Amino acid sequence: MRPKEPCDRRGADRLPSALLCGAACVSAALVFSIFAFLAAFSWPVLSGGQLGSLLSWHWRPLAGEFGILPMVVGSLCLAGSAMAVAYPLALGVCCFVHGCGPAWAARPLFVSIRFMTSVPTVVYGLVSVFLLVPVIRGAFSGSGFSWLAAALVLAVLVLPTVVLIIDTQFQAVRAEVRVAAAAVGLAPSQEMRHLVLPLSRRGLAIAAVLGFGRALGDTLIPLMLAGNAPRVPGSLLDSLRTLTAHIALVVATDSHSAAYNSLFACGLILFLATLCVNLGVLSVRGRRLG
Amino acid sequence: MAVAIRIERLSVDFSGKAVLRDASLEIPKGGPTFLLGRSGSGKTTLLRAINRLNECFPACRTSGRVVVNTADGAMEAYAPDTAVEVLRRRVGMVFQTPNVLPLSIARNICMPLEATQGMRGAEAEARMEEALREAQLWSEVRDRLRDPAVALSGGQQQRLCLARALALRPDILLLDEPTASLDFKAAQMVEELLGELRSRYTLIVVSHGLSQARRLAEYLFVLHDGGRVEELGKDVFRDKDALLTVLGDLL
Amino acid sequence: MVKRGQGAESALIGFSWLAALFVPTVLCAMVGFLVVRAWPSWGAPLFFGDTPALAALTGRAPVFDGIWPACVGTLSLIGLASLIAIPLGVATGVFLAEYAGRRTRMAFSLAVDLLAGVPSIVVGLFGFALILLLRRTFAPDANTGLLLSALCLAVLALPYLINATRLTLETLPAGLRLAGFGLGLTRWQVVSRLLLPASLRGVSGGVVLAVARAAEDTAAILLTGVVANAGMPGSLTGKYEALPFHIYYLAAEYQTPAELAQAFGSALVLLCLTGTLFVVARVFQRRLHRTWSGMEVAAWR
Repeated sequence: MRPKEPCDRRGADRLPSALLCGAACVSAALVFSIFAFLAAFSWPVLSGGQLGSLLSWHWRPLAGEFGILPMVVGSLCLAGSAMAVAYPLALGVCCFVHGCGPAWAARPLFVSIRFMTSVPTVVYGLVSVFLLVPVIRGAFSGSGFSWLAAALVLAVLVLPTVVLIIDTQFQAVRAEVRVAAAAVGLAPSQEMRHLVLPLSRRGLAIAAVLGFGRALGDTLIPLMLAGNAPRVPGSLLDSLRTLTAHIALVVATDSHSAAYNSLFACGLILFLATLCVNLGVLSVRGRRLG
Repeated sequence: MAVAIRIERLSVDFSGKAVLRDASLEIPKGGPTFLLGRSGSGKTTLLRAINRLNECFPACRTSGRVVVNTADGAMEAYAPDTAVEVLRRRVGMVFQTPNVLPLSIARNICMPLEATQGMRGAEAEARMEEALREAQLWSEVRDRLRDPAVALSGGQQQRLCLARALALRPDILLLDEPTASLDFKAAQMVEELLGELRSRYTLIVVSHGLSQARRLAEYLFVLHDGGRVEELGKDVFRDKDALLTVLGDLL
Repeated sequence: MVKRGQGAESALIGFSWLAALFVPTVLCAMVGFLVVRAWPSWGAPLFFGDTPALAALTGRAPVFDGIWPACVGTLSLIGLASLIAIPLGVATGVFLAEYAGRRTRMAFSLAVDLLAGVPSIVVGLFGFALILLLRRTFAPDANTGLLLSALCLAVLALPYLINATRLTLETLPAGLRLAGFGLGLTRWQVVSRLLLPASLRGVSGGVVLAVARAAEDTAAILLTGVVANAGMPGSLTGKYEALPFHIYYLAAEYQTPAELAQAFGSALVLLCLTGTLFVVARVFQRRLHRTWSGMEVAAWR
């Protein structure tokens, strides 16, 4: 009879549990502290009489006008247009990998997609400034730094994200139906059209939402390529400024403190957009989380 | 005796591991033809080699010849110009565990018809009803064709899979231990069904059950390890003791 | 025999080919352009300028024209960020996979997913706000610097570590756990003696990916202390240079063709760095896959 042992063991087991739990709490607390900081620092703007100035269409810090609506529109326009290019491409790549293309090409293509995730954003930006922008400048007119340039490069940037999500979904669906589909004589493209695509609706929606979130959150591509004029763009060749680039620009130029406070409002908007994206994903999944 | 399938020196390996080596046999029309063998002897692989379904699994290599005699003439299964989808429509398959598609009962049968033959509407519905009647499932599902197929019981799902294969009007049906995952009553029903289908289709059945083979088989092949295929005469496998003597070292 | 609906499938195939060709075209154009433009600047002077390499490496002579200070800055950032993020991330991953109940796990995963989605510029803004807070409270002369940037990068890398650890642990065969508990080991003993060693490769893959994430980010450090000309990083709270920012800065502000060539050279260096990390992470993860997939091979025979 050794009654002491289990007690000792439980005691020895308690410390690591507590430490691990503590670490998890710290990680989770980070998210809340980010939110808390943004909210606290933008409070003077949101609560005071400056809200009207914030929600206006003019950014003229020297005249005391801190309207961020053009940047909100700019962010939405850019992210939306980038996704409009990236999403169909990603879908095409996934169809290609899952049977519409030859088997020998699927693996190298997928490795390239994975490699694209590791290419630094600033490298895409640099190459585009000196490769894509001159092309746009030559083909149309103006400086070339435009909504169009930023949207195209941003599309390349979010492409792998969207591909990887859709691919995960396709893999799960195909594991279920592939053999049955082959046994009734469906060609891979028929399997894709009649089974995989319709049965992947949820994953396809999640990919769209997460890809949009990723496009909305990128700073460097719009900062380097979109021209950064703080007004609503009239055409694809116009310059635009996103919330993210706005934050980077204003901090760099070091304006006075009222401008800073409006930045935190921009940050808060971006944070809330991230929250919406995540809640959107959760609702698409139907709360069936494991 | 007309030959339905001729297999010559068929070898299959997965990731370099030989599962089947130089197997040769001729499967007659009608049947049922039963394939018996120890687990791991490659029965299922042999069955899947007939409609080239092994290719759905990773790192599979097949060599040898498989000739399938269909209503439209002989098909060389592994010839480069053979459309594998056409082959698979002529050679239907039912699996050990029922693998209904995650669609409604009706779509399980109509979707392949629509996708592969462009058949829709009344024509497809008529074909579906015919197939479901043939699989003796019609009376059980006629009122709930729009329900998801996964809601059916195991035996019903298996008969739905059978109906799905039959709707495509195959010449040959491959059945991979079709009763193994079913309870006694459902298994009995599927067995009876096989007895009826034998007059219209060439049936090839992989089975574990000796008694099932004795009851139903018209022809019987035994797969030995290493790829040797032995055909047993009817007089041998109808007689329980003789069969046990032959198979004693195997099962 | 013409069948209805076949047109849609041909269109699908055609479009998938188009999309598939797009990817290598973009990649080749990008890498090719980068290499061609970086070529004139490639070599020891790219890193050290006019300073002798050995003297620069040992820190005896300052480097003025080269990107060596930026490389060291990036490496210090990676090191510091890893020091902060790895223990925290792995511990959180272990907690979520092995200790947390269903509801706790759901709540925490939501927080981790949210953290993964927060734009890096917002994390930078968070760091910036942290300094503002410190200035208003007990450290009036606090300023942005290396440590603050590393902290922000750690926040960005954290979700990668948590998810990699958690996923690896969750895909370990259940038998391993049962065997441990069957021997009468406590939960921590099972985790530390059996599960963590078995998941070392997957976790390492996650670490490498997280490091790559920290190495390439520009937006967060933009707000937290990176500058164009700081020389070698001196102290934890001092300003510093970093490769991605150096590239961004030169792309916008270059004065001479030589500076532009240096920007492309730096981009190639950075791409090599993240590319190497990518390959290392793949090797870890592929080996892991092979280790545990041996069991499936027998299943479908």
